[in-house]
Amino acid sequence: MTPKPESELPALFSGYDTGGFYDEMFESPGVPRPHYQRLYRQLSYMGPAEFQERREVADLSFLVQGITFTVYSDGRGTERLFPFDLLPRILPRAEWDQIEKGLSQRVIALNLFLQDVYGSQQILKDRKVPRSLVFSCRHFRREMMGLEVPGSIHTHISGIDLVRDSRTGEFMVLEDNVRTPSGVSYVLENRLVTIRALPQAFQQYAVLPVDDYPSHLGRILRSLSPRGGDAVVVLLTPGIYNSAYFEHSFLAQQMGIELVEGRDLVTDAGIVFMKTIHGLKRVDVIYRRVDDDFLDPLAFRPDSELGVPGLMTAFRLGQVAIANAVGNGVADDKAVYAFVPEFIRYYLGQDPILKNVETYVCDRPADCRYVLEHLQEMVVKPVGESGGYGMVIGPSADRATIESLRQRLKSDPRNWIAQPVVALSRVPAFDSATGRFAGRHVDLRPYCLFDGHKVTVAPGGLTRVALQAGSLVVNSSQGGGSKDTWVLRGES
Amino acid sequence: MLSRIADSMFWIARYMERAEETARILDVNYHMFLDQSPQSYRLRWEPLVAIAGEQDRFSGAYAEANAQTVFEFLALREDNPNSITRCLERARENARTIRERISREMWEDINGLYHQVRSFGADEEVHRFCNIVKFGSHRFRGVTDATLTHDESWQFLRTGWALERAEMTARIVDVQYHRLVDRPDVDTDDHHQWMAVLKSVGAFEAYCRLHRSRIEPQAVAELLILHPDHPRSIRFNMTELQGGLRAISGTGVGAYANEAERLTGKLLESLRYGRMSDVFGLGLHEYLTDLQKTCCEIGEQIGRTYFHYGVAG
Repeated sequence: MTPKPESELPALFSGYDTGGFYDEMFESPGVPRPHYQRLYRQLSYMGPAEFQERREVADLSFLVQGITFTVYSDGRGTERLFPFDLLPRILPRAEWDQIEKGLSQRVIALNLFLQDVYGSQQILKDRKVPRSLVFSCRHFRREMMGLEVPGSIHTHISGIDLVRDSRTGEFMVLEDNVRTPSGVSYVLENRLVTIRALPQAFQQYAVLPVDDYPSHLGRILRSLSPRGGDAVVVLLTPGIYNSAYFEHSFLAQQMGIELVEGRDLVTDAGIVFMKTIHGLKRVDVIYRRVDDDFLDPLAFRPDSELGVPGLMTAFRLGQVAIANAVGNGVADDKAVYAFVPEFIRYYLGQDPILKNVETYVCDRPADCRYVLEHLQEMVVKPVGESGGYGMVIGPSADRATIESLRQRLKSDPRNWIAQPVVALSRVPAFDSATGRFAGRHVDLRPYCLFDGHKVTVAPGGLTRVALQAGSLVVNSSQGGGSKDTWVLRGES
Repeated sequence: MLSRIADSMFWIARYMERAEETARILDVNYHMFLDQSPQSYRLRWEPLVAIAGEQDRFSGAYAEANAQTVFEFLALREDNPNSITRCLERARENARTIRERISREMWEDINGLYHQVRSFGADEEVHRFCNIVKFGSHRFRGVTDATLTHDESWQFLRTGWALERAEMTARIVDVQYHRLVDRPDVDTDDHHQWMAVLKSVGAFEAYCRLHRSRIEPQAVAELLILHPDHPRSIRFNMTELQGGLRAISGTGVGAYANEAERLTGKLLESLRYGRMSDVFGLGLHEYLTDLQKTCCEIGEQIGRTYFHYGVAG
């Protein structure tokens, strides 16, 4: 396709500006990348009104299906639609293969680290990661020490956040999520809705399917059963008021397992049971979407009403399997993150395929001094949070925020890391105010399943998009939306 | 099946049915009353609140019962736990907590109905509003029957529907009969009033086919209490309830596995072999009051047997 002069751009793209960022769709203004050409051609036939109409069909479909998340600003908890942008993000096969290899390598290394850190702690003895950093982690669980988990799997499910740096065009790892990563249900639902709203465009491509994720996860969960055979697997949810409740119920349904709350389970003599209409029934495997803190009031927070008293004892006795394992937070702590490339070299003897974003660990005095001098230029994050909570983006923060951050950072450096602002790549997203596409920053969260031998990555993952012009924050709790992500069978 | 899920199934059905019955009562009476004298307003509107069992709450919120206040109270009010909107909200909330156990069609249907009804305000045309709720409830039952496996979970829905409908029919007959027959200040021969009772439960055509003649209060009561096959009669619904309870426990004919089944069986025997003369001999109001108490007790026993039983240790 030859470049078109600006005046001939289709209406939906008129005035589209790549803004000097890496644009996932256009290699230069008006020139789509090879794998986007078919979609671009399809959209050229479409006016803003028609696209708008298809968008509304998609939104309505999310509302009717109740695919919402809960926000708590009004104290009562209201349901909101997770904003969805209809134009898909497309990844050619070769690029994806590389990502997949990198993720696989990383997940295996993270699992080996967890096995080690709750076992013989060889990596600490070899001084590859500071002992103090590990033991000061709020999510390190002494209760896990010396515990053999089924199949030696700690990280059954991981969501690894990737970003593409506009300067190099390369994917990098922004953070690891190996506790209870959420969002995979949106991957599956986004695909269904996109196919319904843009059927012709979808048919132009050969896209790798994503819908076997639940059955794959179900197989892994059943394989963990301490009794073997016909395992009773349940998904433990904090309940309807949890922001990811839709996903919990979606996955339970797709896997054909029982969705339970803490109050549905009891333990007796180290065995976990669920309360059914015909009495108690033994549970073998728990896919928990409840945080460690709330899992068992006898072992962790005593005020938790979401958990099951005695669950940790049953787990320690090997009478029930829990996925993901308890204590994984020590591996996705944002300060420990800085050492993951080292884990890969140490455990696997390989060079990391996916790089980390340069990270200053404020626990190291030199790093801390540097960060304090450059607060205005960096992204500063608390180490133990997820969902973008507590993050400060220096260039867009006001003076008061920076000063308050400075105080907090000085008083507890272990709790903070800082990274340079990454110029995230952009993808066109529909702006209903102008009726046109505009470039918006995106990240990518692929979902990785580990069965003890092999890592399987659902092709693509969740592309999260910062729908505010100029914003770099993609988290749903902070006003981000999502897109369907297509991994092509071939290159275009 | 998890106790919590059975509990939710049971209550989805009860709340949906309660919303439907309330919509029926509102719809029929609203239009009949509009062309009548304002003097009789109070007498006509207050019983509708009584059927919902919400007199105290109503008088706390409004000075007078009239078309506007009763519609608002029964259809829309947030602080009336039995208003149509609140019933649908609670039905949907229950469905949401067990959406992985119901069919996608059921969820989309109940969720769509909820959003539609939530968008209505006090200026909504009453008939349109009531129709949406009525047919929404019918559609939900149809969707359920056609898409959900008829296993235990379906049986809990069935018992919820049957118990709620039996109880609501008892209330409607009780309140209307009391109003129309036992009150000297109301025209006891009011043909239209009895038509309204029949229409509000959707049994008018059935009555006409059965009796052809004018509408007799006693015959109306008989149809709604003792008829074996009409889907709104108390006997029909107690039979359904028994069928559901037996399917859940696996109990055979002539036996009972729990207190809920015993009470249901006992009541059903009296409905099967009783006559209207027995009912009037005891006094219709007393009879229906007892019956409502039994329904209440059955509901509690179902809960005690299947949902909230104690776990030792």
